[in-house]
Amino acid sequence: MSDDTSRSGLKSSNQAHRAIYPSDAQRDAFDGSSGLLFEQAMGQTRMAVCLTDPRLEDDPIVFCNEAFQQLTGYREVEILGRNCRFLQGPDTDQAQVAKIREAIRDESVVVVELLNYRKDGSSFWNTLHLGPIYDEDGNLRYFFGSQWDVTDIHQSRAEERHAKAMAREVSHRLKNVFAVVGGIVNITGRSMDSRDVAKKINERIQALGRSYEPTLDEASLGTIHVGQAIRSVLAPYDPEGDRFIFEGNGVRTEPNAISAIGLTLHELATNATKYGALSNREGTITVHWQHIKDKMDNSALEVTWIEQGGPRIEQEPDMDGTGFNISKTLLNHARGVLEAEWPPEGLQARILVPLTRRSL
Amino acid sequence: MSLTYLVLEDEPLIAMDLEFAIEDIGHEAVVAVNNAEARQAVADNTIAGAILDVSLGDGETCEPTAKLLSEHSIPFVLHTGDLDRVGEHLRALNAPVLPKPQAADDVIEKLVGMAEKA
Repeated sequence: MSDDTSRSGLKSSNQAHRAIYPSDAQRDAFDGSSGLLFEQAMGQTRMAVCLTDPRLEDDPIVFCNEAFQQLTGYREVEILGRNCRFLQGPDTDQAQVAKIREAIRDESVVVVELLNYRKDGSSFWNTLHLGPIYDEDGNLRYFFGSQWDVTDIHQSRAEERHAKAMAREVSHRLKNVFAVVGGIVNITGRSMDSRDVAKKINERIQALGRSYEPTLDEASLGTIHVGQAIRSVLAPYDPEGDRFIFEGNGVRTEPNAISAIGLTLHELATNATKYGALSNREGTITVHWQHIKDKMDNSALEVTWIEQGGPRIEQEPDMDGTGFNISKTLLNHARGVLEAEWPPEGLQARILVPLTRRSL
Repeated sequence: MSLTYLVLEDEPLIAMDLEFAIEDIGHEAVVAVNNAEARQAVADNTIAGAILDVSLGDGETCEPTAKLLSEHSIPFVLHTGDLDRVGEHLRALNAPVLPKPQAADDVIEKLVGMAEKA
């Protein structure tokens, strides 16, 4: 746990895994066989339980089990006769306390989560379940309270929230960096009278930015959702959303595989817009992705790209344009490959990037 | 006909890029870095449309300007790097949200299209 929590005194009592040792104390408050069963059950359960008597002045605790004593650090003699509020402390949320008061007044059942304090001053998050118990004549006899220490859950929730907030902040800043870089390129391009070059550079920068965009928010996971990255990269080429058919599952991959794939998809889409399936009104492109094993049993990410319905291909076009060269160089650095075939109905390409992590 | 567009953006390079993109297609741009400047710009000019950066630093958002523009029936787009932070109030104004990074030309094209329809 972080230093913060120990400094504030928040401490889990590990209630779910703690053994309960029955105390020797004899009680005679609960008579008969059902009383005996009650005593035995209450002695064994890890659920901290107490009963209060609302007919007595200030609704004091008249019974508490061993788990209650272990949870709070007080012994029975220190507990009996006191109102439950002695477990509250400076940071106990009074709104939750008010709910307890209301439930007691209305004789209703309530479950609240509140910060309670042990005898040693340390605190714990307590899920308190409270409800009335009536006798056979329907008269209010006790209030039943069960306490469960949920400090661990609280802490993991807080850590998760913190991690998510951090990831979002990083994501936000990085997107801004991409936007600023785009601005620099455009402004420089204008001043040097090279707008077309600037535009091309910028399109690639934007494609790269988009590859990471939907996944940065969960970057703390260390992997990237392939499908989301692919959809984001290709979204601008399909404003109506009816030209791409995405076939893939929720596979995640390592971030370094995504740069090369994102830029290659950008080049393929640019090419398709000029000459291929996106250059007319009917063409479609099926994009499929999956993790595969190669002959050496190494994992790889495979993305396939199949164009249909575009202009008929009469002869194999030249794939040595700058864009494809950049993609190939990048893929090569990632030890990946780009294979392309040109049947008359449209380009069929396959991108393969080996993965270095074994766990994926 | 040359129109005037408002750019509300606290990052100078992005503002400049958008300004140039507006000038490229023969229009004029007024750049504001906060809501106060934007309000002044709306008072001083006939604004045909606006691009609003959502987060303006120090926790300030473009919401006051968005409301002002809505009251004047001036079309605008929201330009942001953090879609989650757009917030309910801004979403309720129903303006298109353009995620950053996005080519300045595309942002302007979208806005000009809206202004021409308005």
